[in-house]
Amino acid sequence: MRGAKRQQQVMGRALVALVTVVMSVVVVEAAAVLDVYRMIQYDLGGVPMGSRRAALSHHATSGFAVPGADLSRAVVILPALKVNISSLNEFVQNKGLLGGLLLLLPQRSNGSGGDGDDSDENVAKALAELEQWLVHNTFQYPVYFAYESDNVQNILQEITANDAAGRPATATTGGYKLVVSVSDAKKLPSPTLTNIQGWLPGLRPAGDTSMLPTIAIVASYDTFGAAPALAAGSDSNGSGVAMLLELARLFSRLYANPNTRGPFNLLFGLTSGGPYNYNGTYNWLRNFDQRLKESMVYALCLNSLGSSSDRMWMHVSKPPENAFIRKIFSEIENVAQDLDLTVEPRHKKINISNSRVAWEHEQFSRQRITAVTLSQLEEAPELLQRSGGIADRRKTVNETVVMRNIKVVAESLARHIYGQEGKQVEVFAKGSNLALSPAYVRSWLDLLGRTPRVAPFLGKNAPIITALHKELAQHTKDASLQHETLDSAYVFYDLTKAQLNVYQVASVTFDFIVALAVGSYLILLFIVLFISTKGVDDFIGVFRKPPSRKYKST
Amino acid sequence: MTFFHFFNCAALTFGPHAIYYKATPLSEYDTFNTCIKAAIVYLTTTFLKLVCLATFVQVSEHDTGFDLPQELLKGLIGFLDVAGLYYALTQVSHRSISQTHKFQAVALGWAFADAVLHRLAPLWVGAKGLEFTWEYLLQGVEANAHLVFTVSLAALGSLMWLRKNKPSALVPVIYASAAVVASMPSVVSYLRKGLAWDFEKVVSFELSASIVMAFVSWRLFSACQRPSQ
Repeated sequence: MRGAKRQQQVMGRALVALVTVVMSVVVVEAAAVLDVYRMIQYDLGGVPMGSRRAALSHHATSGFAVPGADLSRAVVILPALKVNISSLNEFVQNKGLLGGLLLLLPQRSNGSGGDGDDSDENVAKALAELEQWLVHNTFQYPVYFAYESDNVQNILQEITANDAAGRPATATTGGYKLVVSVSDAKKLPSPTLTNIQGWLPGLRPAGDTSMLPTIAIVASYDTFGAAPALAAGSDSNGSGVAMLLELARLFSRLYANPNTRGPFNLLFGLTSGGPYNYNGTYNWLRNFDQRLKESMVYALCLNSLGSSSDRMWMHVSKPPENAFIRKIFSEIENVAQDLDLTVEPRHKKINISNSRVAWEHEQFSRQRITAVTLSQLEEAPELLQRSGGIADRRKTVNETVVMRNIKVVAESLARHIYGQEGKQVEVFAKGSNLALSPAYVRSWLDLLGRTPRVAPFLGKNAPIITALHKELAQHTKDASLQHETLDSAYVFYDLTKAQLNVYQVASVTFDFIVALAVGSYLILLFIVLFISTKGVDDFIGVFRKPPSRKYKST
Repeated sequence: MTFFHFFNCAALTFGPHAIYYKATPLSEYDTFNTCIKAAIVYLTTTFLKLVCLATFVQVSEHDTGFDLPQELLKGLIGFLDVAGLYYALTQVSHRSISQTHKFQAVALGWAFADAVLHRLAPLWVGAKGLEFTWEYLLQGVEANAHLVFTVSLAALGSLMWLRKNKPSALVPVIYASAAVVASMPSVVSYLRKGLAWDFEKVVSFELSASIVMAFVSWRLFSACQRPSQ
């Protein structure tokens, strides 16, 4: 008898345990699931910047001034183009608490610049402004980006309508709830900067053992933006990289034949760490051996040469009156004039004590190597500005402009190398086998325009690095990689992409009402069944204390 | 909060079975074993039905159409339910309990097994999520309707197979009502697929139909009771 009872107890306990284990399994069903991209989280010299949280589980509201909404436990959904940056800035400066922020980016279309180029420009400008503000502020709550879609639009419309009607979504009233279930972001240990270089040796006259002079052509390929998973930087600096690769291709053809090999070595460098004061370039130059440094005649840095414009600037740190700078400038100007391009010199002195490096050529100048930066940007960008973020999309890059710029650089380089200054010579003529290849440039612009390239998140073996390395290896003799650690003043945190679940949640009051209804239904059922089968007297008898017990005790 | 919803729906789905047991004299007469046996018979019947469905019924490409031959076949296989009930009522040996209590106990065990098998898993997986739908509450109401259907079917079944002396006039009525109740699942699936009714409409139809059939079978049962008294 006892054994049977104990067995029953054990079985009972095992059942409870099993039920608890099974109960912890949850399958998720949501009204909508979106891909969202987290805002960057980084420390700049120890100061925490960007969005410091990743996990999200709050109700959604449509704005900051919704009456009755508790902002500290709500996620505000804003279309990115309708953000009023000044009022948002005020909110942040007043240390306003927010459950989270979801910014909606305009739908990306794959066609390039067909409809409304003007509105595209405004969009780019607005996004750039927003990005700049975001990147230089700290947010103690999660900030995510998502692309607008029909689904999202409908949900946002519903939320706005509910908010306007005075029924904001909270725990007590129900509504839409946004959930991103991830753990907090961790620091990225020792982020790596990878520089890729390619070497095209020139023709040494027989018997000459001295090192040939070298010309360097450099472009930084990495980007920085408000959302690392979206920072594809088509103009800054996808255009520069595409130009460099096309130049490498053209000159490798010229140099392939010893008869046409020039008396200059060509060093192609794709550097990383551009947004961080050209940290990668600095490391790259530091590792040059002395002979190479001495042989370097000048360096040509390419930056942001893809936007529709008829002007180009040649940024220098040596005064433009310098004879050599004047020579380089006149070569470029001569070619540019024929192509309706205006080139202007721009001088910016280097302040050695200031660690800010605004242009790549400044790193060369600090090593006493003459260098210039060709760019369609007139002003030197501030730190982390114009570094190829969300606003810098493939649409903003004009292929025709890029091809024209390549022609200018290539022809002026060729004139310098082959000593044809001032002469009307066209080396890379259309129709010849040295013609520029728009298809080649386009395919690289397309690839770069859809590959986010924020250096700390790339790692050593990212596909884009391997692809660039392979490409340079095809065009040059020695293509090599160099890995360096990023300056420790910059610390980055991981977690760049996540999935957002949008649930339609019922309020707590509703659950209570249902519980009440079900409870009363069950009680009613009990009473009805009891009375109908056992009779009313028995029912009343349940409530009366049994009288017989008193008598028994005495 | 979502566990709350789950408990609400579970209470609505399974509560009535427990209450039926407790409130009626079933608990006094210790008919629990009968319920268990009925549940086991239900499980075997469902398994057999599954095998038949898998063998004979084709899976159509478009779910929403109502394919009459296939549905007739499914209805026929549904009649296995009746056979199962017959087996539970007549062949399984019960301790001596009166007719009235026997069919109720069998029906209770049957309906409870059905509710658990068909509704517990979806309830578990779905009602616990954050997303809210009316579906699980409606499923609970449907479970209630199904309990009533089963009780009426068991009552009619016991009338058909266990009672020897029935007033001859009522015999065709008994068989007719039994046929109606047994074909309920096919009717419901026709409503849902063929006429594409909303779940709420279907459930309200089931509820009203179950009450009507319960009333009919109650009248029949009490009518048959009189001669034996």
